[in-house]
Amino acid sequence: MQPDILKSSAAYHESLHESLENTFLRKTLDKFAVDYRANRTNIFLDVPERELIAQIAEDRDRSCKRLDELYQQFKKEAEKRGAKVHFAETADDANEIIAQIAQDNKVKSIIKSKSMTAEETLLNQRLEKDGLEVTETDLGEWIIQLRGEPPSHMVMPAIHLSRDEVAEDFSRATQERLSNDIGKLVKVSRRELRPKFIQADMGISGANFAIAENGSIALVTNEGNDRLVTTLPRVHVALIGIEKLTPTLEEALTALQMLPRNATSQRLTSYVSWIGGGGAACKNAYGQRQVHFVFLDNGRVKIAKDPLFSQVLRCVRCGACANVCPVYRLVGGHKMGNIYIGAIGIILSYFFFDKDKARILAQNCVGCEACSDVCAGGIELPRLIREIRACANDEEGSPRVESLISSVMKNRSLFHTLLKFAKFGQRPVTGGTPFMRHLPHIFAPKHGFIALPALARHSFRERWGKICPSVPDPQKHVAIFAGCAQDFIYPEQLEAAVKLLAAHNIAVDFPDAQTCCGLPLEALGQRALKVEVARQNAKAFDSLYYDAIITLCASCASHIKHAYPKLIESGEDAFRTQAFSQKITDFASYVHDELKLGAESFIASGEKVCYHASCHLCRALGVRTAPRALIQSCAEYVPAAEEELCCGCGGSYMLKFPEVSSQLLDKKLEMSAATGASRLVVDCPGCIMQLRGGAEQKGMKLKVSHLAELLAENMKP
Amino acid sequence: MAESTPALVDVFKEKAALVAAKVTEVADLSQAMRYVVQISEEKPPCELLAPEPGTQLGPLSENNLPTRIQPIIAAPDLDDEGFFALEKTCKAKGIRCIRNGLHRYLAGFDVGLVWAQFAIADSGTCVVSTTDEEVRLATMICESSVLLLRKSAIKANLASIAPQLRILQGTGNPESTTFITGPSRTADIERVLTIGVHGPLELHIILLEE
Repeated sequence: MQPDILKSSAAYHESLHESLENTFLRKTLDKFAVDYRANRTNIFLDVPERELIAQIAEDRDRSCKRLDELYQQFKKEAEKRGAKVHFAETADDANEIIAQIAQDNKVKSIIKSKSMTAEETLLNQRLEKDGLEVTETDLGEWIIQLRGEPPSHMVMPAIHLSRDEVAEDFSRATQERLSNDIGKLVKVSRRELRPKFIQADMGISGANFAIAENGSIALVTNEGNDRLVTTLPRVHVALIGIEKLTPTLEEALTALQMLPRNATSQRLTSYVSWIGGGGAACKNAYGQRQVHFVFLDNGRVKIAKDPLFSQVLRCVRCGACANVCPVYRLVGGHKMGNIYIGAIGIILSYFFFDKDKARILAQNCVGCEACSDVCAGGIELPRLIREIRACANDEEGSPRVESLISSVMKNRSLFHTLLKFAKFGQRPVTGGTPFMRHLPHIFAPKHGFIALPALARHSFRERWGKICPSVPDPQKHVAIFAGCAQDFIYPEQLEAAVKLLAAHNIAVDFPDAQTCCGLPLEALGQRALKVEVARQNAKAFDSLYYDAIITLCASCASHIKHAYPKLIESGEDAFRTQAFSQKITDFASYVHDELKLGAESFIASGEKVCYHASCHLCRALGVRTAPRALIQSCAEYVPAAEEELCCGCGGSYMLKFPEVSSQLLDKKLEMSAATGASRLVVDCPGCIMQLRGGAEQKGMKLKVSHLAELLAENMKP
Repeated sequence: MAESTPALVDVFKEKAALVAAKVTEVADLSQAMRYVVQISEEKPPCELLAPEPGTQLGPLSENNLPTRIQPIIAAPDLDDEGFFALEKTCKAKGIRCIRNGLHRYLAGFDVGLVWAQFAIADSGTCVVSTTDEEVRLATMICESSVLLLRKSAIKANLASIAPQLRILQGTGNPESTTFITGPSRTADIERVLTIGVHGPLELHIILLEE
């Protein structure tokens, strides 16, 4: 049995070290991450990816509003075909129903094809208690069954194992000395399992779709084991989560265009088996194979009614969220979920298993949004994970801390005074008081992997009086949303932007009443305050007057654009908030798309510059062309490998999981250095802190700049 | 329903090849049968993956498993004329040709031959629909799976075949439809692709002219 790594936060952190030191795992997952991206891009060339995702989301959401109706329809049709249909409210109920079916049919041996739902209910354990022999037949599942381990991925359960380990397991199971030749090992499983297929009394499968219109189920597989499992034994039981109920074949075929592509970069798996009822069974004295469909609720009905979380029922179990997760890539699946793996695993763990354990898991998300970018159902995975984290923080916050933070957040000059006070008390850059990306945080430094920045001598808002440009005949009016990091730590980045804008005849305002965008408040368990600062910011800007409200922090931009309208949906401030979030524009987009600055606006520096795509800019805001084009217009842009891979900062993530964050940082710096560029440009101060701090700590010659700084430096005189 | 065009056939052939299916075009059914017999003759002896009392055993395979001395071709859904013609050719070559009772040979047999009702060009997929268990077994237990497909039955893409699928599945009776895209495969060990796991080791698709 596995040690309980989620018994505490400390135990979890310790367990991460084990993964990080597993060189085989690291190498395997690294290669997989890169291969998967390339293969996925290729296989999606022949279908409209975004349209498919939107359609699947719509279809699933609609179905989840009428699960009972679909269940009744399915039951009627399936029974017409001779199948028996059962409904299990809980995991235990499902297990009991299946155990009873086994007993009623004098079953002794069982073969199983892959079913995540059966893992969720811990079905095998229940059946083995009755003395039944249960054999997994999916190769990966069989391997981990021999090892007594849980799967480390929803689609590739044994991805964490080497061929040597598998050879050892098989050798032990067969009492033969086997080589590690993979082809031969696969043949061993073919040979070992065929007799089990033949002898089994009962076959248990899952189902990918349950078609209500005609009472059939569909199984999506490659190995051929599911076909044997559902054909040879005299009893077939399929355990099916109720969210798999699909009204029509059309909807199933839509999802089928997505699922194999997203899971394994295939157009279709080797087999899609549509099973409608029983058939003439070779062994059964009565002629017909008994077919049972057991539908599982286990909380899904309740989730379907939740206004925010109902979207998790769109999950088709493709595993893509794990495939692109930078944290999964480093620590593997056993550390990223409980039975269900990856971003969706963290969320489902909360609902199906242990809330406390799920909260610990939910901390281990860097917030890069790579998962939602590829999700087959368009689930807002990062948002749901943050929500689960916030539930924890809500319960842990202390009233005294709350009211202090509250006064500070709402009163910007008080905040500023505190920071100035902290500034004078701080020690210089190496080994001073560490900062969260936006807020000061008194902390015992165990985070020596980056050289931390000092507070600016004078914040941007202090300097505004002096640097506010005079633009007598402006072509446009914009305002600046500063955000904490650039206001207090990197004002020079904002100044560079102001300089560039003024030079192109844009009048710039800096409304003083603005405050923190509110994004980091969730991490501090301050959800109500998050709404208040949103309100305050929306009030601070006369949004209708400005052509744009520019921010140089991609995280602020994304939070204001996506979250603000949802935070203040109604009431007198709703319109103002909407207007504010609409006017917010990231710096790169404004300069490239609105000002249309190009090569003619800059001197050609000839400097080799590479780029890191900040997560909130490339994924949350979908901005990809503008920054690179702007770099190219004043320097020589040298593409780096995996530009969109997260730098590891993730706001408070770098403080909570320095062991993982530093690995992501190393990878980023390595790939940037490999370009031979002398400078690395980014769009977000969090990335600046991480990458510049890391480069400095390593003594690298690589200069790390905000895009605004690069452009301002190369302005035409 | 649009007739399949030469372009669709080409797309089908291209995509089927990508999933390691072997596509052969023949003029008529008798040529198809000759090809099926050829597959049986050219393949290595069939491995017996479970005890089969009463069967004469041949030399051990390279996987150290007993093999069949007499090859078996199963063709459960040919019409009488087709089956007897095949059986005649097989007899002359010492091959056993069967059309039912496949459950007696679950340890494995050489070739399974069935009709595909239609195909999907853009994924190289064949669709086999049946209410007969023998037909299912013929596509699962064999080492070399062979599907007969008329060119006119090739449809363009997955999104468009719901109506056909609906008709094949019907309602009110047990039925099984399978989309077959290449032979069985896995990448569960170190993500290295291996063709041939529990299902067939090979897939042949015979394209018939009309």
